[in-house]
Amino acid sequence: MRTACVFIPHFAIAVELLDRPDGRPDGRGRPAVIGGGQGRGKAVLDCSPEAEAQGVRRGMPLRQALALCPKAVFLDPDPARYQDAFEAVLRALEGISPLVEAAELGHAYVGVDGLEGLHRDEMALGDALVQACLPDRQAVRLAHGQGRPAGSLLPSVGLGEGKFVAWAAAVTSAPGEACVVPAGRESAFLSPLDVSLLPCSPDTLRRLELLGLRTIGDLAALPLGAVQAQFGPEGRRLWELAHGLDREPLRPRRHEESASERLTFPEPTVSTGALLTAGRQLLSRLFRRPALRGRAVRQMRLRAALSDGRSWERTVTFREATADRDQMLYVLRCTLEAALPSRPVEEVELTLSGLTEETGKQEGLFAEKGRRLAQLEEALRQLKARFGQSPVYHVVEVEPWSRIPERRLALIDYDP
Amino acid sequence: MVAHPRAPARPHRLRSLREPRPVAVEADGEGRPVSVTLSGRRLRVVAVQDAWRIDDEWWRERPVSRVYFSVALEDGRVITVYSDLATAGWWRQDC
Repeated sequence: MRTACVFIPHFAIAVELLDRPDGRPDGRGRPAVIGGGQGRGKAVLDCSPEAEAQGVRRGMPLRQALALCPKAVFLDPDPARYQDAFEAVLRALEGISPLVEAAELGHAYVGVDGLEGLHRDEMALGDALVQACLPDRQAVRLAHGQGRPAGSLLPSVGLGEGKFVAWAAAVTSAPGEACVVPAGRESAFLSPLDVSLLPCSPDTLRRLELLGLRTIGDLAALPLGAVQAQFGPEGRRLWELAHGLDREPLRPRRHEESASERLTFPEPTVSTGALLTAGRQLLSRLFRRPALRGRAVRQMRLRAALSDGRSWERTVTFREATADRDQMLYVLRCTLEAALPSRPVEEVELTLSGLTEETGKQEGLFAEKGRRLAQLEEALRQLKARFGQSPVYHVVEVEPWSRIPERRLALIDYDP
Repeated sequence: MVAHPRAPARPHRLRSLREPRPVAVEADGEGRPVSVTLSGRRLRVVAVQDAWRIDDEWWRERPVSRVYFSVALEDGRVITVYSDLATAGWWRQDC
C-alpha cells in the first residue's frame, strides 16, 4: 500500500514556538525542554534540537536533563494545546485522504492509494501534504520560496510502499520537503541509511552495531536465516523492513461521537471541592442533552485552563460503559486527588466520548459466578468469626491414580 | 527437594476423604459377607454385586491387602465393605 508519512519533529516544542515571532522560547536562542507537571513524573516530554544536541532525550528525568543542559528554558507541558494543534493537522490531512493514522504527536500516516488522479504525481501529492499542515499564512510564505517561517509546524513528508519506508523517507528529508521512494526502489533507498532507523529495542540495536552492521543495507545483505538465528522473530521483521517489506497495516483513526461542556470559574480556584462541583454540574448539563439521553459513555476527559495560560488534562477510560454519574464523579474525585492541577484553574471542560447506543448493562458471562464467590467468601468469613475456624473445606486431588480410595482425594481448610 | 514418591500421602492440614470406618460383618466360610450391622441393626446381605482385591504398598511397613465387596442389603441399600487381610478386620468405605 502506498503510504505517506507526515513527520513534524519536536512537535510540542514547535507548538510552543508557534506564537513567538523569533521562534525562540525566550528570545535568546536558549535550548528548550518541556517536562514535569504534577502526577506525570518529572520526565522530559520533548526538547528542542539544541537541547537534543546536548544529550537531552525524551523520557529522561528532568534532573538529568538539567544537568546535561543547564542553560535550557524548562517549560511546563501544555497537553491540551499540543493535542488541539495535532488534531488540526490531522483534520487538514483528512482533507487530502480519508485514511489518516495518528501514530503519535506530530507523526501521522496517510493512505494515498487511489489519489493518483488528483495530483500531478507523487511529488505534487507530497507537497500538498506539506502545505496542508501549515496555517494559511505560512503556507503562502513557503509557496513563495521565503523559507521556513519562524515558529511553524513544518512537516517532512515521505512517500513509499508501507509505513516504514514512508517514515524513513520522511525523517531523512528536510523540513518542508517531500521525499518519494518509487515502487521497487525501497531496498536501494534504505540501503545507505543508518541501522538505528530500524524500529528495534536498544539492546538489539547495540547487538547489531557489535556485529558491525552500520547500515540497513548491511543487514539486508545477510541471509534471512542468519539474522533470524541471531535475533529470532524480531530479526526476521528487521530483515524484512530492511528489504522494504512492511506488513503492518495502516490503522485509520475512527471518528467517535463526543459531547463537551465548559464552565468558567468567577475566580481561579485550586479547590478540589470547587472542581468536583463543576464536574457535577457539567455532567448534569451533558446528560440533559437529548443526544445523550439513555446512553452511556466509555471515556471521560477533563481539561482545565490554568491561570498561567497553560492547560491540564486527564483522560479516564471506564472498564465498561457507564451512565452512572455518581461513579463518574467518584472517578473524577480520585483523578483530581491523585494529581491536582499545578496552578489555579480558570476554566474546566468535560468531554464524554465512546457513547453507547443504550444504557442497558451487559453482564459478563462469568460475572454472576464472581459475585456469588464473593458472597460465599463473605459468608465463610462470618462462619470463621463465629466458630474460630473455617468449617468449610476444599476437595483436592492427592493421588488420583491410587487404587486405594482414601488416598485419592483430601479435604483442605477453605480459608478466604 | 523432591518429596519421596513412596512417602505416605498425609500432608499437614489435609484430611483424607473416604476414610474407612470399622463395621461389624458376618462372613461365611469362604470369607464372603452374609450380614452387616449398621447402627446396631443386623442386615442380611441379599446379594454380593461385585468383589475385588487390592494389594498395594507392599513395600511399606503396613502393606495394603484388602478384599472388597459391593453388597446389597435387605433394606435396599448398596454399600461397599472390605476385609483387611493384614489386620483381619472389616471396614466400610465409600468408593
